Amino acid sequence: MRLLALVINTFKETIRNRILLNILVFAITLILLSLVIGDWSLGQQGKVIKDFGLSAMSIFGLLIALFIGLRLMVQELEQHTIYIIASKPVHRWEIVLGKFLGLGLTLAVNVALMTVALWLAGMLMEGGIDLALLPAIVLIYLEILIIVAFAMFYASFASPMMAAVFTLGTFAVGHLSGFLYDYVRLYPDRGLHWLLRGIYHIAPNLEKLNLKMAVVEGLKQPPHQLLHAAVYGLSYLALILLATALVFERKDLK
Amino acid sequence: MAVPAIETVKLTKVYKGELGEKSTVGVDALDLTVSQGGVYAFIGPNGAGKTTTIKLLLRLMHPSAGEVRLLGESIKGRQALAKVGFLPEQPRLYGYLSGREFLDFVGRLFGLSSAERRSRAEALLERVGLKDRAGQLIRGYSRGMMQRLGLAQALMNDPQLVILDEPMASLDPVGRKDFRDLILDLKKAGKTVFFSSHILSDAEMIADRVGMLHRGRLIREGEMADLLGQRVEAVDVVFEIADDDLLALKLTASDCVRQGGRWLSCQPDTASANRLAVALINQNGRLISMTPRQPNLESLFIDEIGGAS
Repeated sequence: MRLLALVINTFKETIRNRILLNILVFAITLILLSLVIGDWSLGQQGKVIKDFGLSAMSIFGLLIALFIGLRLMVQELEQHTIYIIASKPVHRWEIVLGKFLGLGLTLAVNVALMTVALWLAGMLMEGGIDLALLPAIVLIYLEILIIVAFAMFYASFASPMMAAVFTLGTFAVGHLSGFLYDYVRLYPDRGLHWLLRGIYHIAPNLEKLNLKMAVVEGLKQPPHQLLHAAVYGLSYLALILLATALVFERKDLK
Repeated sequence: MAVPAIETVKLTKVYKGELGEKSTVGVDALDLTVSQGGVYAFIGPNGAGKTTTIKLLLRLMHPSAGEVRLLGESIKGRQALAKVGFLPEQPRLYGYLSGREFLDFVGRLFGLSSAERRSRAEALLERVGLKDRAGQLIRGYSRGMMQRLGLAQALMNDPQLVILDEPMASLDPVGRKDFRDLILDLKKAGKTVFFSSHILSDAEMIADRVGMLHRGRLIREGEMADLLGQRVEAVDVVFEIADDDLLALKLTASDCVRQGGRWLSCQPDTASANRLAVALINQNGRLISMTPRQPNLESLFIDEIGGAS
């Protein structure tokens, strides 16, 4: 009941936020605009639309995670609205989980709307719906959730600006971890390799959740590979939420 | 014997300093016991540690040492908070919700049924005078309306103990009177009200007990009547009499101050004021008023703070 109340409240907060609506309208417009761009690329229209649409989903998901996810925590702490809920018989972990799930619900609605826009663009161009996009979209959603969880984690102890920088940094490192791995393997004697190795092991490997190229090129993904990616993403998510709950539990709400 | 509404044992909060800065003590080994029923005013200058103490009571902050029990239960399990209502200082509420939606949300946090939430929310909206604005988004509320809605949310769970942090600081005189009446209604209903304030006249009007906090320490505590006592420091007598008859009262012009057509005389005690009144009547004068000067909370507070510094 309490958790559900927190989830619904966060959902209302995010859904009534004008920034979210602006981002969503912009994203859907861009996806539909891919029809025009697809027209310019002879014989590759379908691929261009899928590539463009999936990338838009990923980038706008990140923007929503940054603007709304960070704002959720920062506003609650800086405007002291947190005093109202934290003084009730509510556990701090319930506040963290409630906010995360509420935002997750909003993001699910957003990703669903963007998917419909992408399918609509695909239908207009190719005359059918490509269900093979679904695994890639689910993993994009999972990646966005991981970034949201990181944004909440950083916002629970750092200033808003630093939290934004850390979140963006995590996103960048998460997509570059393959390069980090190669660098450390190829040049084990270079300075700071221990630091890079540490970052590689701690940072999420977001490329594991990136199926965009594969689905655009029409490559079949073996089910166990998809399952592995999903389990990896969900485990990472659970760890970050646990860390956020622990930090938040110990936090003095000044 | 009923368990205390609030009990702290050696409650301490030390703020660790940033790099190169010294640690500061916010609350210093505070032993506080507030019995159930009645109104307790927790007063002190800005920075005395009132808000920090309240945050420690509600586990919004973690103590460096010491214990808190509310209504006999430790707050570590948070279940004690189910019987407590809290209004923070200058509350900021969720602007994207309407007043009614906000109370419903708070009711859900307390696990109230849908029927309970609806009936309590409507009764409280009526009581705090927001019934007509309950459907509007909170972001359009004035500060006074926000304060009243804040009180309504603090009462959604029909709490036994109500903790209010500077509840009247941002209200106009009419709003303050309404708020005082609300607090007295809660007292009549058998609730315990614990409120912090630096507006001493408000505290003096409604509190049964007072605790004075200075630099994180409780420097004086007791029943309001005992603290202020019945002592009369002086009596102001206002009267009318012909100038020529003033001497017959054994008063000279230097003992009195002329106020328009009247005289004001400050007598050192009740007996001498009574003697003056009798003499005045004998001389065909007219007694207008006799007003005893008694110590108030403000003078007591200033004396105590001065002594503690």
